[in-house]
Amino acid sequence: MNIIIKTTVALAVAAGTGLAAPEVGQPAPAFTLTDSNGQSHNLADFKGKFVVLEWLNHGCPFVKKHYDSNSMQKLQKQYTGKDVVWLSIVSSAPGKQGHMSPAETNQAKEEKGSAATAVLLDEDGTVGQLYGARVTPELYVINPEGDLIYSGAIDDKKSVDPADVEGATNYVKQALDEALAGQPVSTPKTEPYGCSVKYN
Amino acid sequence: MFKASSPPETTLCPGTTRSSASHGRRVLAALLFPFFLLTFSSSAQLYQGQKLVEATLLADTTAIVPGQTFRLGLLLRMAPGWHTYWENPGDSGLATEFEPQLPPGFTAGPTGWPLPKRIIEPGDIQVYAYKGEVLLVRSITTPAAVDAAEISIPVKATWLVCEAVCIPGKADLQLTLPVASSAEPANPGLFAKFTAQLPSAGQPPFAMAWTATPTGWNLGLRDTGAAARADFFPYADDKHPVGHTAPRDLVAGAADLAIPAAGSPPVRGIVVLENGARSGWVVASETNAPAAKGTPATPKTGLWTYLLFGLIGGFILNLMPCVLPVISLKIFGFMRQAGDSRANILKHGLAFTAGIFLWFLGLAAVIIALKSAGSEVTWAFQFQNPWFNYVIGAVIFVFALNLFGVFEIVLPGRATQGMAEAGSHGGLAGSFAQGILATLLATPCTAPFLGTALGFAFSQTSAVIAAMFAAIAAGMAFPYLLLSAQPGWMRYLPKPGAWMERLKQFMGFPLLATLLWLLYVVGQQRGTEAVIWAAASYLCLGLAAWLYGAFLGPVSSTRAKTLATLGILLSLFLGLGYFTGNLFARSAAMMPDKSAATPTDGIPWVPFSEAELQRLLAEGRPVFLDFTADWCITCKFNLRTAIDTKAVREAFEKLGIVPMLADWTNSNPEITRKLAQFDRVGVPFYLFYAPGKADDPIILPELLTEQILLRAIGAQP
Repeated sequence: MNIIIKTTVALAVAAGTGLAAPEVGQPAPAFTLTDSNGQSHNLADFKGKFVVLEWLNHGCPFVKKHYDSNSMQKLQKQYTGKDVVWLSIVSSAPGKQGHMSPAETNQAKEEKGSAATAVLLDEDGTVGQLYGARVTPELYVINPEGDLIYSGAIDDKKSVDPADVEGATNYVKQALDEALAGQPVSTPKTEPYGCSVKYN
Repeated sequence: MFKASSPPETTLCPGTTRSSASHGRRVLAALLFPFFLLTFSSSAQLYQGQKLVEATLLADTTAIVPGQTFRLGLLLRMAPGWHTYWENPGDSGLATEFEPQLPPGFTAGPTGWPLPKRIIEPGDIQVYAYKGEVLLVRSITTPAAVDAAEISIPVKATWLVCEAVCIPGKADLQLTLPVASSAEPANPGLFAKFTAQLPSAGQPPFAMAWTATPTGWNLGLRDTGAAARADFFPYADDKHPVGHTAPRDLVAGAADLAIPAAGSPPVRGIVVLENGARSGWVVASETNAPAAKGTPATPKTGLWTYLLFGLIGGFILNLMPCVLPVISLKIFGFMRQAGDSRANILKHGLAFTAGIFLWFLGLAAVIIALKSAGSEVTWAFQFQNPWFNYVIGAVIFVFALNLFGVFEIVLPGRATQGMAEAGSHGGLAGSFAQGILATLLATPCTAPFLGTALGFAFSQTSAVIAAMFAAIAAGMAFPYLLLSAQPGWMRYLPKPGAWMERLKQFMGFPLLATLLWLLYVVGQQRGTEAVIWAAASYLCLGLAAWLYGAFLGPVSSTRAKTLATLGILLSLFLGLGYFTGNLFARSAAMMPDKSAATPTDGIPWVPFSEAELQRLLAEGRPVFLDFTADWCITCKFNLRTAIDTKAVREAFEKLGIVPMLADWTNSNPEITRKLAQFDRVGVPFYLFYAPGKADDPIILPELLTEQILLRAIGAQP
């Protein structure tokens, strides 16, 4: 009897949330993706380090806001300098906005001055759907134990205006600073804003 | 891939004025045409040679009339396939911003957002957006005086427009409107089309049940009528993200909507019913009724503003003609109390205040009870009930006799004190009762303030109705409470003396005049016979009161007391049992149907019915619609001074205006519904449907003058 109730509740929960998107505090779903240099990366490879996942689409005005103002690159530099692994993930399907070949990806990385550890190509959208990523930019922070400690928006100013970067509270910076100092993350979940991820 | 959305149908009509029977007007409009071109300004967003969004700023008026509110609209026309976003964009996107920079003294209401559409992108990414065209609307309030010939309003608009990709857009627009003493409607088609798509903050015409579930909320909808499909769009809440609700088909007027929201936090949003057309209502999970905080068009400030209106309205009730007799009564009471100790005076003030509060809260309780019972309850509805009128009449009559000195109210246990104060007053209970009476008589006065506040209150939750009525009570009681707390301020009042007894007696006459008015209303409702039976009943009450006053005092003998008590019982039996219970009650059946228009005036009124109104409007006839009732003194006053005049009669005839009368003397659900369409809960109320303006009647002020009316119908410039 008890089992039936539990199963029903579990099913209801699953039905309600649609995709079983990972919850903050739970282990981040495992994945393997190839980067723009043809190198394969498994999330488990980075155990023992903080990992940032950043959903990326260079055609999206919200992404442009954070790259054109150089704030995303600064953030990447600052934290990869503190031994944080920064993975940009492109889930745009072939033919859709933001999709890039490995060569184009490297060219964009250089042009933009991205300091990400790697740019991972997810053109069938599997990992994007696994994480329930809906927009670009959408960010996730994973702790050295492999648990998700932040998911959501880059900051609290929902706009496409680069001038709004200044003065905004950057949630990713906040989460990383707190976690690196051994403190719990004060804002572990926010509503991401941005363009839709261009899935197939 | 997908079918391009059909091109926008409405067109901008910058120079279109209301058609009028007067040819001269059209000539004037033609002359002014270049001027009207200023009533909108446009800007286009280009992307790779394609026009993605055309942004246009426009107003619903040709000129700014100081003191009058107008609407400013931001019209976005999107290229086929592209969309801009609702206030909560959904999974991705960005809400459009529409920020007017207003001159000092002008204020803008919040943005009104028409109902959005649900667009589902690959990867089950759902957004709430607009395709084709959308008009965002903001109300602009203007100061009472504007010291300029014209006003320019710059507007900064930003938006995100998306198809497969998203492009941000912005426009700096500016609208210049002349300042004038009157104005014509502008762009009526657009404003009518999109304001009809704004969600309603009123009570939805269906039943709702919110149930917390492990995943959020289940919203059960029942009795939705003819609608085929139901949908829910949540308002954005950063603290409690709300997931997407799958739209459901309605089966026998019922559907359950699942609203995902972890932990079942309070959820606000709009329920949209589709039946060819779409209609939306603002709903909230905290209560089973519409959001008490107001509509998206009036967030938060709504309730407080209305409570303030209630307070002011309550205060003004003291000044209304139908309370005047009681006012004199009360002022007299204060003068009398001025001789008392300060503490006593305050006690009286508090008792009076308690009476006012008791009445209003009691009224609130009754309204809440009736509302939940599904009755159509409106302000002043009490006077539609002849029984109510009879009872009030009896109370007033007995009060008048008291003032004449026929009997004194002596409280048990305070008999000696009552003797000492004989000829003066009825103690705290008297003040309490006066508080109740004062409010009782104030109810038929729908002051403009109060009308607005109550129109709001009646569509609200029980708690808000109670708060609303408490505010009115506080406003009404305020001056008395103040005077009783600061009796020093009464020192300017005349000193007590023998003249007070004369004054007290005199006060009985205005009360009797009020009684005459009540009997007149009863006569209108139930016929002459009912008036006679009610008066006979009052006569018996009077006899009982005299017996009580003359023979039941402490100085009377036991035998006299016994006889008097018997006489009182007999009088009451005859009066209440026979005249009231039997004859007055039966007079109801004798009353002819009063739905026919009162043919008393020189105006050839057509009785109101929705069907007849629609038929006339379909023919393109102009219609003047007068909502009135016999018990409404303001209505009568307006009729005599502003409507049933030679000039108006001639203008009606000349312009072919059909005068239509909605007589609300007795409860009439059809009229109540019509009033509710305009958020009104009382009369007087006046509408003018100009030719071809069937959807957009002009609302005339409650305190009407001949000149206002003639101007509104176009008979005077």
